[in-house]
Amino acid sequence: MEQDNVFINQGISEIPDRKMAIIAESLYLLNLLILPGLAFLALVWLFIKYDNASTRISGCHLRQTFSASIWVGLLLVLVTWVMLSTMNHDSPYTWMIVISYFVICHSVLVLLGIMGLAKALAGKKFHYPIIGPSS
Amino acid sequence: MLYPSQAVAKPYFIAAIALFAVQVLFGLIIGIQYVMINIPFITFATAKLIHTNLLIIWLLFGFMGAAYYIIPEESEQELYNPKLAVQLFWIFLALTIITTLGYLLLPYATFAKITGNQFFPTMGREYLEQPTIIKLGLFAVLCGFSYNIAMTVLHGRKTMINLLLLVGIVGSTIVFVFAFYNSSNLVLAKYYRWWLLHFWLEGTWELIMEAILAYVIFKITGDRAIVEKWLYIIVAVTLTTTVLGIGHHYYWIGVPEYWQWVGTIFSVFELLPFFFMVLFVFNVVNCTKCQYSNNAVKLWALSTPIMAFLGAGVLGFLHTLAPVNYYSHGTQITSAHGHLAFYSTYVMIVLTMISYAMPILRDHKVINDGIAQKFEILAFWLMTVAMSLMALFIAIAGIMQVYVQRATDLALPFIEIQNSMVVMFWLREIGGVVFFIGVIIYITNFFMVKKEYGTR
Repeated sequence: MEQDNVFINQGISEIPDRKMAIIAESLYLLNLLILPGLAFLALVWLFIKYDNASTRISGCHLRQTFSASIWVGLLLVLVTWVMLSTMNHDSPYTWMIVISYFVICHSVLVLLGIMGLAKALAGKKFHYPIIGPSS
Repeated sequence: MLYPSQAVAKPYFIAAIALFAVQVLFGLIIGIQYVMINIPFITFATAKLIHTNLLIIWLLFGFMGAAYYIIPEESEQELYNPKLAVQLFWIFLALTIITTLGYLLLPYATFAKITGNQFFPTMGREYLEQPTIIKLGLFAVLCGFSYNIAMTVLHGRKTMINLLLLVGIVGSTIVFVFAFYNSSNLVLAKYYRWWLLHFWLEGTWELIMEAILAYVIFKITGDRAIVEKWLYIIVAVTLTTTVLGIGHHYYWIGVPEYWQWVGTIFSVFELLPFFFMVLFVFNVVNCTKCQYSNNAVKLWALSTPIMAFLGAGVLGFLHTLAPVNYYSHGTQITSAHGHLAFYSTYVMIVLTMISYAMPILRDHKVINDGIAQKFEILAFWLMTVAMSLMALFIAIAGIMQVYVQRATDLALPFIEIQNSMVVMFWLREIGGVVFFIGVIIYITNFFMVKKEYGTR
């Protein structure tokens, strides 16, 4: 694929464009699935090191996953924490709402990540609906 | 249709759809019985028996139809014995009707007695309630089916898709032998019952599902190389996670405690095949110029792995860890997972295959903007949204049930717990009605195609 031959000269050198997009999407998914926090830190490091304003697919995927990961933190950690700290822990309704919210929200975010990874594997740009930047 | 013998798939698909409608109807009856217990003529136990047994049977009809359609094309030759396939269809249908009527018209104990269960007792276990003689008939049908498919594959071209389908079919037949093992030791009896059910559901059936999905995606995109490359990865992950992953069924049946660790660790990884299936489908579609005109088939095929990831993967993971399962085992959470997992993984793949194959089997042109297509897409959304909401309502009821029944020192009495969930049961019933409307529209769509387009 053409993008494979385009090497990034800024930040992390020698990483093909498409590969960087795949790494960004993988880190987004790892943050959601098995390495919460650590994978996000790695994504932040890549975002800062690499020219994230680039119009290449790697720049697009880095911007999208970085923004989406911040939303992940807000939606899954902050909102859940707010719900748990304001609602009555002795009520079954609290747990009905919190568990249902968390599971649905987490699943949708994972599915969006899989779509993003599929696009990255195909060497195409991807825009996370609502939680991704428009550019 | 490339090979005339593929036509034997048609009666299997028709039977599958008809039994699907009956199965959903009995599901509605059970749903009503949850909230209005006194319904004349049929008990909850009988209706549930028919609901769960027909599910397994119509999916088997669907898999058989799919195999009879796919195998000749993939093997590049006619089916080894089309007559045998037709004969087996009628035997299988007769067994299904006899069993269902037996459940409906006779007390279960009488049915067991007149079918000679006392000589070789295998009845009375959930999902394996069929009389022994019917089980023998079903085993004979599965053996004949496996033989027919194996001989066709062995005499023809071997591809990843037809070999995987063959492994799934032969595997399902071999595993069914455990239906005849009914130990007087309850732990052993439970152990091998789970072996059969979940080597089917999480093993051999999953392989069949992957083969059908790969075939349809190949037909949509036309790129065999990329489809087969992904299929290797998915099958490898399925096989490595399933065998020990089914340990999550052994937690509380009396086996050694290490199964809690084994089941917990490996069943977490059982999410991976569904993860890769979503990635596979969208990667293949993104990498190829997809110009296939049947939009309904595309919708079914692309949605199947997504829904399977949610229903079988996420809802399964929700209660698969041993410490969580200690509280959630056998609650409505299990029911939520069961409903969405069956629908998303097996019902959807059979409907995908039927939607792909039936217009070809009926010699109709496929047009992407016809009214029939729109009706089928409407049926898809009605069924999928209704089942997702049903699963959500049941899961919410399950969370409530765990809280008031298990995670407390002062558990409420059973009937009070049921009463606390009654709103969710009503919402589930409404979801069931919408789902049934979806099924009716799906069936209606087949009759509309004929009117609209005529035959070639």
